Amino acid sequence: MRPANDVQGRDPGASRLLVKSDLVSWIRRLMDDAEVIAPAAGAGGDLMFGPVTDPASVWLGPGNPLQPPKQFVLPQTDPIVRIERNGGGVQVSSISDERARVIFGMRSCDARGMAYLRRMQATDLPDDSYLRRADRIAVVTLACTTPCTLGFCVCCDAGPFARDGHDVQLVDLGDRFLAEGATERGRAMVADAPFRPATQGDVVRRDELEREAERHFGDESAHLGAAMRRISTRRVAEELWEAMSPWCFECGGCNFICPTCYCFSVKDRCQDHGWERCRTWDSCQYSAFTLEASGHNPRERRKERIKRRFFHKVSAQYYQRDGAVGCVGCGRCVQTCLGTTDMPAVVAAIRKGVWHG
Amino acid sequence: MGDLFLPEVARIASMRDETPDTRTFALRLRDDRRHDSFSFRPGQFLELSVFGFGEAPFCFASSPTRPDSIETTVRRTGQLTNALHTLAVGDEVGLRGPCGNGFDVEAARGKDLLFVGGGIGLPPLRGLIWNVLDERDRFGRIQILYGARTPTDLVYKDELRTWAARGDLELLVTVDRGESGWTGNVGMVPTLFDKTELRPATTLAYVCGPPIMIKFVVQDLLMRGFAEESVISTLERMMQCGVGKCNHCAIGHCYICRDGPVFNFKQIRELVE
Repeated sequence: MRPANDVQGRDPGASRLLVKSDLVSWIRRLMDDAEVIAPAAGAGGDLMFGPVTDPASVWLGPGNPLQPPKQFVLPQTDPIVRIERNGGGVQVSSISDERARVIFGMRSCDARGMAYLRRMQATDLPDDSYLRRADRIAVVTLACTTPCTLGFCVCCDAGPFARDGHDVQLVDLGDRFLAEGATERGRAMVADAPFRPATQGDVVRRDELEREAERHFGDESAHLGAAMRRISTRRVAEELWEAMSPWCFECGGCNFICPTCYCFSVKDRCQDHGWERCRTWDSCQYSAFTLEASGHNPRERRKERIKRRFFHKVSAQYYQRDGAVGCVGCGRCVQTCLGTTDMPAVVAAIRKGVWHG
Repeated sequence: MGDLFLPEVARIASMRDETPDTRTFALRLRDDRRHDSFSFRPGQFLELSVFGFGEAPFCFASSPTRPDSIETTVRRTGQLTNALHTLAVGDEVGLRGPCGNGFDVEAARGKDLLFVGGGIGLPPLRGLIWNVLDERDRFGRIQILYGARTPTDLVYKDELRTWAARGDLELLVTVDRGESGWTGNVGMVPTLFDKTELRPATTLAYVCGPPIMIKFVVQDLLMRGFAEESVISTLERMMQCGVGKCNHCAIGHCYICRDGPVFNFKQIRELVE
């Protein structure tokens, strides 16, 4: 848990106030310049991130959609190259998506997830088309003043209030939001009316809410550091992975709903006059993920694939390569796993050397 | 790199059958200027697009010392390679790369070089072999040990004869099973170690071939006194993006497509998974 911020030392201009009755008109104004994406109840009642058509439908209450907003930077099927056949032969061109977007009402865990993905795509060989799309997205987070049921962001330094990956953070103060601009773009978004300066009292209340929220999360449930020590030094018994494997159904759900999972395949999709080369989500839990044309498969057994997933998520080797642990504590894998091979359960097993199923 | 995934269009300039299922393709970038400025290191690979079938990684089989030709040798094994084998001279494919680290040719200067290839493992070594032969006086003794299942499965048959005829290298070829008319060695590749003089202290060994061959060859080389750092191989995994993003080719925290495909045996042993 981090120390309470020093209220006196903070830039007072960075914190603004928005009366809740002005929220809809602010969202409408954002919609003039950008596609605004926010959580709203879908047809079946489930919360989902999607483009906003009616600002009044934006949900800023408790809960987080099961699908993280990564689909807006890394779509499930993402056309990257256009391949056209015409009289003069084959023409190839990059497909880019640089629409201005605002993702509104994202939680701190997902903002951390977006920051993780961006850092990964920017390092070594930067994927500029990914970065151009990601950099056109402004992120407005909503601080979690009430802990969600399954989240453990406090174990990963990813919440309940946002530290990075956001432009503006909203904190619910009852009848109004405190709006903190974290970047130049974010400060511009909250600069004009109906925003007005926050008072010292509002900022004090914000810090109280953050400390209360952290307390409400209770004890840490995922000791990632302890798991890192063991998995990075090959001190996890093979039998442990073996014991877990009947509990994984190879559905790939943990990968697809994870804010930091980015593995993909590349496929050509037939179009008029040619093809679109698409990046498509893939899962390291599928046996075909490493299947070679010869028939050889270095990760043929399920235990090898579960081990792979958690090596990438929590090993020191990947902590250094990707710049962070690959978990933001959103709790979605706990919710979606048909068995029990979710992050807190596997971390506990690695730490204690016992699998309870 | 603004367009990490954008291939360049190339034409098949010529083709040569190596074995009943393996063919060498010479590629030429459609844009002449790009072709002339295209450079790579032996041991690197290219992502080859067969449009409509996607792309797959293949090593450069030619040498950068002969820049007119970009060659790759491909065995018919899956959907994409089957489709590639149906193409004709003049047909268009996509080329993206070069990818990967490649062999460190500079580090090999002045050393004795031992090439050990098995089956379709000779193509990645061929680029390096021609590179050092084209700069012959910069290197010490050169030995090439090559084996395949049968005489029919030997690739670059003409070149093997050319190399055999040269006085400045030693070539030993073996097959697992002889065929009628075969008068050469019969036996697995490691049996060739007993038919030549190895100089572990001054030699870099480059080993490419099927995993089972690599396993025994490396074991024998270490046993005969080669340092782990002096035994160099190329690793393969199922690969998609070739640029260190998709995670298919990961071993531990290394990506074959970025940190490899060339590793020495010490590095290979340290890959934690």
